[in-house]
Amino acid sequence: MRVVIAEDLALLRDGLTRLLRDNGFEVVAAVEDGNALLRVIATEKPDIAIVDIRLPPTFRDEGVRAAIEARRRSPGTAILVVSQYVEQTYATELLADGRGGVGYLLKDRIMDVADFVDAVRRVAEGGTALDPEVVSQLFSRRRDGPLERLTPRELEVLGLMAEGRSNAGIAQALVLTVGAVEKHIASILGKLDLPPSESDHRRVLAVLTYVQGQPPS
Amino acid sequence: MSRLLAPFVSAQTYRAVAFYIAQLVLGVVGFALLLAGWPITLVFAITPLVVPLLIGLRVAVGLLAQAQARLARELLGVSVRTPVSTAGVGFWSRGFSVLRDPLFWKQQVHLLLAWPMALVPLVVFAEVGELITTPIWARWVEGYEVWWIEVDSFAGALLFVGAGLALLTVAVHLLGPYARLSRWLASRLLSGDPGPVRSPAEVRARRLQALTVDALVSTCVVVVLVVIWLLTSGGYFWPIWPMLALALVVGIPGWVVLVLERPEVSRLALGSRVLAIQIGVSAVLCCFLVAVWAITSNGYFWPIWPALGLALLAGVHAAVVYGRRTHRIEELEETRAGAVNVQETELRRIERDLHDGAQARLVALGMSLGMAEEKLKTDPEGAIALLAEARSGAKEALEELRDLARGIHPPILTDRGLEAAIAALAVRSPVPVTLTVDVPARPPAAVETAAYFVVAEALANAIKYAGATRIDVRIGRANGLLVAEVADDGEGGADPAGNGLKGLDQRVRALDGRLRVASPEGGPTTLRAELPCA
Repeated sequence: MRVVIAEDLALLRDGLTRLLRDNGFEVVAAVEDGNALLRVIATEKPDIAIVDIRLPPTFRDEGVRAAIEARRRSPGTAILVVSQYVEQTYATELLADGRGGVGYLLKDRIMDVADFVDAVRRVAEGGTALDPEVVSQLFSRRRDGPLERLTPRELEVLGLMAEGRSNAGIAQALVLTVGAVEKHIASILGKLDLPPSESDHRRVLAVLTYVQGQPPS
Repeated sequence: MSRLLAPFVSAQTYRAVAFYIAQLVLGVVGFALLLAGWPITLVFAITPLVVPLLIGLRVAVGLLAQAQARLARELLGVSVRTPVSTAGVGFWSRGFSVLRDPLFWKQQVHLLLAWPMALVPLVVFAEVGELITTPIWARWVEGYEVWWIEVDSFAGALLFVGAGLALLTVAVHLLGPYARLSRWLASRLLSGDPGPVRSPAEVRARRLQALTVDALVSTCVVVVLVVIWLLTSGGYFWPIWPMLALALVVGIPGWVVLVLERPEVSRLALGSRVLAIQIGVSAVLCCFLVAVWAITSNGYFWPIWPALGLALLAGVHAAVVYGRRTHRIEELEETRAGAVNVQETELRRIERDLHDGAQARLVALGMSLGMAEEKLKTDPEGAIALLAEARSGAKEALEELRDLARGIHPPILTDRGLEAAIAALAVRSPVPVTLTVDVPARPPAAVETAAYFVVAEALANAIKYAGATRIDVRIGRANGLLVAEVADDGEGGADPAGNGLKGLDQRVRALDGRLRVASPEGGPTTLRAELPCA
């Protein structure tokens, strides 16, 4: 699996490169800023780009902007944004095109190497990986629109789906059987009025609804 | 019973009464202004004088409307600001722009409505006063009548006192809804768009141009008059009188322009422009009077009296300016001390958090790693447990550092500015928040941060303590101020002297702003921060 990295701090850039190489990824480029990222995505066509939010020159949200721009130029480019802090706003913006292949994690999660590597693979294959912190930020807010129709249990399931867990993973986290989880998911997809399509895409749309608080337009 | 008496102890009732008294005075002045101003303007409508008259009328109406808006703001709590705009470039277009300005007409309607609106409650209260004092009047006035009924016994008089109290209760209860009507009128008729802003350079250029024209025209007039005098008889040099008058006409604006152009002149007058202008104008007037005295009689030096009067006025003004300046210096010292204090407390908190939190965790992490290194060969399983411990310690340290960073300056505020940062707060709120943000350009960072923390704290209080079911957040810029207002429908009773609000107050005052908290027991709560940002 081919990976590019955009991270301005050499310490983290080298550490991340080593970690990914040790786990069987091919790091084809590691760059320092958003423009360089857009260039290497165009030339190298990686399976996934791992991007820090704060990049030169202004150290604000260049990473998010570059990620959105990269996906605009070549739709379907999988992007995993990592940051020292997470904001629900950025999660919404990253997921907005409803195509999946988006991750947004705290840098802390890199320490759980096995989980992190899993998340990278999942995002590269078109799934989502939202940081539990984003999910909990979204959990405390008031709900209106279609999310109001979900039971608390279903919301929990949807939150875990947003984190990118598989049905088996959700079942394990909530101490349920996989069958029960599948039933919950079917009920969630029904209540959110998602158009029938292949099931992975519907999962992405359900997560988008969860993050935006309203159905994808 | 307590509901019946509630309006009697509510500050809002007394504020509303104060509002209507002031409104009556302003309304009468405004009515007189319109009654005199429009006929005069119409009479001059066929001459070029109509333009300065219209502009004068516009400014007068605007200033009265501003006074009304200020009253409504301070006493009724409406957030309304009303600009005086006399835009338009060129002589005639300025006159027409006044007539085309919808706000001008709305302000006049509000001025005309002001005194009848104010009269109604005041007349009712006067009637209450008359009824309640019936026993006194009946005792001293023979054949005293109330409402055409003669009061002839003390018991009868008491009956009127009862009626008076009943009327008072009804009136006080109706005052709230009536004040809401006034609030609605003020917000509909007074709020307006400030219109295009002229650059200071343009204003200066116009001022100098006007003075030059003034001086040139005056000189020409004097020259023409002297020539006429020469061509006619000679004799008594009568052009001296128009010359003196024109000297005033040029001298006074000349001095005003000098004061406005040269800050060092005001610095001599305790740093107050108005005082500098007053002293200069007084001096010009004195010179004028002395000249009149010299030309006429040379007898009794009467100009001493107006000169003394003007000097006295200037002296009083100077004393006021001096007092205000001293007060201002005290205030600056106090807010600076407050700001230093806030910063000091903040830094100490950060130091303590780092010391007890992240630093301690890193030490523990280092120890775990060191022990794991030693155990690696002898006890690999123990080493693995220590490594897992180290990893979770590192995570906790990161979390603490993140919280700390967020408390110093929230990242999204840096990244995206005030609107996005507040929107992120609003999204996370379990209580519905309506957000109105109208801030076209990003304010200075310090102002933005203060506004953010004011809104964040107010939201947190409304959610945690007030039990609000809806919250309104408004942020806008007006008259060189960034105004952030958070209103909730919760239980109220927020203590402005409490730790959170006091910290906010210091934060806001350090930026020369003002924090106002209105939170009566039983609610609602409105918190409003005004921060200067030019």
